Amino acid sequence: MQQFYDFKVEKIKNLSSEEKKLRKKNLELFYLNGFPSKKDEDWKFTDLNSILGQNFSNIVNTDLIPEERPYKPITEFEHNFIYLVNGKLISKSFDHEEKDKIFINNFDYKNEIILNRENTLNFLNNALAKDGFSLEVSKNYKFKKPLVIYNQLSNSLKETILNNKNSIILNENSELTLINLVDNASKENFMINTIEEIKLKKNSSLKSILINNSKNNAYFYKYLKNDLEKNSSLENYILLSGLIFNKLDIEINHNEEYSNSYIFSALNLLNNEHQEIKTRVNHNAPNCHSYQKIKNVLNNESKGVYQGKIFVKNIAQKTDAYQLSRALILDDKAEFDAKPELEIYADDVKCSHGSTSGSIDLDSIHYLKSRGIPEKEAYQMLINGFLCEVLEKLNKKNLKKFLLQKLEDQIHGY
Amino acid sequence: MLNIKNLEATIDSKHILKGLNLDIKPGEVHAIMGPNGSGKSTLANVLSGKNGYEIKGKIQFNRENINELSTEERAQKGIFLAFQYPLEIPGVNTNIFLKTSLNAIRKAKGEKELDTLTFLKLIKEKANELGIDEKFLSRQLNVGFSGGEKKKNEILQMKLLEPKLSILDETDSGLDIDALRIVADGVNSYKNKNNAFLIITHYQRLLDYIKPDFIHVLSNGKIIKTGDASLGVQLEKTGYIGLG
Repeated sequence: MQQFYDFKVEKIKNLSSEEKKLRKKNLELFYLNGFPSKKDEDWKFTDLNSILGQNFSNIVNTDLIPEERPYKPITEFEHNFIYLVNGKLISKSFDHEEKDKIFINNFDYKNEIILNRENTLNFLNNALAKDGFSLEVSKNYKFKKPLVIYNQLSNSLKETILNNKNSIILNENSELTLINLVDNASKENFMINTIEEIKLKKNSSLKSILINNSKNNAYFYKYLKNDLEKNSSLENYILLSGLIFNKLDIEINHNEEYSNSYIFSALNLLNNEHQEIKTRVNHNAPNCHSYQKIKNVLNNESKGVYQGKIFVKNIAQKTDAYQLSRALILDDKAEFDAKPELEIYADDVKCSHGSTSGSIDLDSIHYLKSRGIPEKEAYQMLINGFLCEVLEKLNKKNLKKFLLQKLEDQIHGY
Repeated sequence: MLNIKNLEATIDSKHILKGLNLDIKPGEVHAIMGPNGSGKSTLANVLSGKNGYEIKGKIQFNRENINELSTEERAQKGIFLAFQYPLEIPGVNTNIFLKTSLNAIRKAKGEKELDTLTFLKLIKEKANELGIDEKFLSRQLNVGFSGGEKKKNEILQMKLLEPKLSILDETDSGLDIDALRIVADGVNSYKNKNNAFLIITHYQRLLDYIKPDFIHVLSNGKIIKTGDASLGVQLEKTGYIGLG
């Protein structure tokens, strides 16, 4: 295959010679293997290199200056917000909070996250990333209202790649509900490669919700690294649909006792879409609890992948870890691949996984139709019923109502 | 209202209904009894328009040929099937299901769809009539309901949707005496000169509460005997074998 990308560190302005050197080193590491293919165990089911090669003629890193444009704010509940364009922090509003308890800024590339992994997309990110945000919540501060990230992408990104880094730190005993709303106006093909590092200190609690607003033609890859201290809690809700390509690579490290993590994912894949969730949950300390529930609905020629690994270290006794993947396959041409993995070195643990995939229950469809409900609507009701179950644990009433509506919008099509 | 002529039904190359004739007029209650495997549930499924059957013969509903109509179109025209085994639908709220169903039928009839408040008032009323606890309505449809609760929910749907023809497929199976009485009361209170019932059952006991005008015995895919309410009592004594 002809090389379909051309990346240059020189396009990034104002770098010190030290930074430039480090970035060039990372770019070399990327070029060594290029984009991942199926040879890479983490990409066992997906040849990203050939997918990109078929859909791009020449991807470049952009030096475009992001422009603001109007966006539609959420009106269903009161919230704080930050506004990003192409990952760059443009504005913020914390009207509901004590402002001195919250620190928000552009990501500081002098304190770069270097991920210690053999991940070629991480190398690329290290080489080219320039925008992103850092958010830190003070000790003992509990957000009164959710924080919405309006994550806007501009129209002019054709054949480019954006690389961003974000960092979120919840200090001891703090609490935050974060809603990341991706709003992509562009119908063009482009790629976004993001690394987000989340640190939850003792007794802190984060609910993190990822939703998108529109059908689009972007290729998303996001690496999420979560480090959990004692008694902290992380709840992830992922509700996505209409994305031509998306992979979430989620690492959760239970580094101290009594920390809990949850991943609830509801993905509705439409024709030609590809969505992938890869998780690695590391139980590095005793008495922690992790739970993953991954639900996929696959329409037409779509493809879903779930690669979920639970790793339990020898000292992590009394670990309680669970993962469940369920897929509803609506078309013979759709494909779903699941690879659950348990690697356990402690003997007193409770770990299990389950994986099912099947077609829609035609008797249930008949039941709904026999009550006068048209066939299309009957399917939508069952799909909605299948997916909305992932919101069961969410205890915020307004937010839940909003997300149920989003899910319904996704199922009915944008 | 319903005219069935020489109905044959085949599924997976099994010939189940083999030339069935039945006429139901408004205001009538018909019961169909018969041994296991005689085709009772197949008749219910075929009338509801369930996919998978190869059909011969004629089914007319209010003088319209309905063989080619989809399940939802039949429901919208006023055919209701109370299922022998109502399905559990996870994640679908009972109230939302009922409202969607009622409004789909109202829409098809050219009536105005009900808003949420009006609907909730109506459903509360209907649920109270049947002694159904309102909290069932906010649960997932039939999920974790007992057998009796599921059957009561079917009758609630019937009373809400106000069909012209109600087909009750073994609604009495799995019911205790109290639930049986509630179901029967539900049917009796809805019965009037403009609607009709087709009650499929194994036992006389439901017919002690809902008095049929006709009882038909279905055997090997055909109606082999028709009589009045006394036929049921006789069958209870002699069994189907006695019919020869």
